[in-house]
Amino acid sequence: MSLYYARDLTRIHGRRTVLAIDSLDIESGRIHGLLGANGAGKTTLLNILAFLDVPTAGHLGFDGRPVRFSGSHLRRLRRQVVLVDQHPVAFSTTVAGNIEFGLKIRRIGRRQRVRIIDEVLALVGLEGFRNASARGLSGGETQRLAMARALAVTPKVLLCDEPTSSVDVENQAAIVDILRRINRERGISIIFTTHDRQLAAGLADRILYLDHGRLVATGWENVFSCTVEGHDERHDRCLLPGGRRLLLPRGLAPAPGICRLSIDPRAVQLAPPARETEAEQGLRGRVVLLTAEGEQVRMVVDAGIRITLFIDPARYRTLRPGIGDEVALAVQPQGICFLAGR
Amino acid sequence: MNFLTDSLRSALLLVLSRDPEMLEIVGLSLKVSCLSTLLAALAGVPLGFFIAFTEFRGRRLAITLLNTLLALPTVVIGLLVYGFLSRHGLLGSLDLLYTWKAMVIGQVILIVPVVTALTIAAISRIDDRYRKTAMTLGAGRLRTGLVIFREARFGIVAAVIAAFGRVISEVGISMMLGGNIRGFTRTMTTAMALEYDKGSFTLAVALGIVLMTISLVMNVLLNFFQGRARM
Repeated sequence: MSLYYARDLTRIHGRRTVLAIDSLDIESGRIHGLLGANGAGKTTLLNILAFLDVPTAGHLGFDGRPVRFSGSHLRRLRRQVVLVDQHPVAFSTTVAGNIEFGLKIRRIGRRQRVRIIDEVLALVGLEGFRNASARGLSGGETQRLAMARALAVTPKVLLCDEPTSSVDVENQAAIVDILRRINRERGISIIFTTHDRQLAAGLADRILYLDHGRLVATGWENVFSCTVEGHDERHDRCLLPGGRRLLLPRGLAPAPGICRLSIDPRAVQLAPPARETEAEQGLRGRVVLLTAEGEQVRMVVDAGIRITLFIDPARYRTLRPGIGDEVALAVQPQGICFLAGR
Repeated sequence: MNFLTDSLRSALLLVLSRDPEMLEIVGLSLKVSCLSTLLAALAGVPLGFFIAFTEFRGRRLAITLLNTLLALPTVVIGLLVYGFLSRHGLLGSLDLLYTWKAMVIGQVILIVPVVTALTIAAISRIDDRYRKTAMTLGAGRLRTGLVIFREARFGIVAAVIAAFGRVISEVGISMMLGGNIRGFTRTMTTAMALEYDKGSFTLAVALGIVLMTISLVMNVLLNFFQGRARM
């Protein structure tokens, strides 16, 4: 059963449509990563999923039931979902006082409150800060306090807006570990937004991509502005940043002009050495990054623009491209998508 | 120059000797100002909170009106309240004119806009993330409001202190509605005006010293709370 479902969900601010989702299903008990550029609608979607914002139109369902956007109904739903802000604020009281806030609302007795506070502080590694002033915490500690404050009320869903964007590497690792553990040990569903594709790939069971408020089936990081120059008999010509030209099968590109192009990393392949010269609709560049990501090898190639692709480990072992090696890339036309807006 | 130094010396001696007449005037001034500030805070803080925290039609108009009322001259208030409290006025039967109560009424009217406008400013300065955080942790409207209030508390205290500073130093309302009657409605500012008219500066300067000291204490407190509000 879906934890959330959304159909034709839109949110309009003034005259601007910031969210326009045709269909979305989020499964219970899993970690979902929400990727997208600034202004893609990630935070707006998260606010709607946290029942803090109301969509302009469309249907939203939670736990198998349609959501009615009325005050008392939303307040009941909010008791099951907690949103942790990108830059969380701490109430001007102690660390324990902050955690106690949600517990008091739920009329939990004093002894139980003390037990829960100790438990969540241990979970986020802030045991020594129980009676410290919450305003005196560092950015990373405040982020962990916000996490503890959210976990204290044992939510069904934890929504995190860019949980690691404003903290140092050490705190990033701690936060990722906390998210993994609460999902695994407590079964809490997690939805988080991020710009960091590596974080999303490492943490999320499923990644959703938002672009200009719409869910797109793309790897998000291979999104470039480009100029469609025109066409000849066989190809559409597309000028990429850095002056590289991409030849696409005729009819794929929109009318000449500036537009945005998305290349699905799964549709980019290393051209075998023998066929490199034939990779006419492909690109040439040098390998600048190689990382293991799940069961695949992630490669970033500098071809004037930085293109990400995934390679099967067996194929990687065969070709063995190293950092600095020049490679040719073949882009499958079905992985190319022209996006709305500039 | 001699005149100034002589007045100042005599005034200081008067302050140090704790002259009974001077103490009575200071006492009445503090009583009237404290009471009017308290009443204005009881009305202005909730009103300011309501306007800042609630979306309603005419909200901007209400804020504009309040900001305009900040510049309301004390003599206009004095005249208006006089119209109500005079023998032929709507509230003439209450026999309040030329009593300290009439001064309190006038001063409350003077500073309710001050408290309200500064409360709105204090609440508006609170980051919206506090509201969002309280709500996502399950707080209803009332408890969310209390969270905002708590976070804005230093700004609100600063608003009340600023209002007190306004009434302790005003002269128009006290003169028009109190009448400057010795032993009954004579406040520091009205007494200073009278002593100036009489050409007797010792008490006027002594009261000036007390008033400036009170002002200094208020400003120190104001700075302290405004500093805390920005933290």
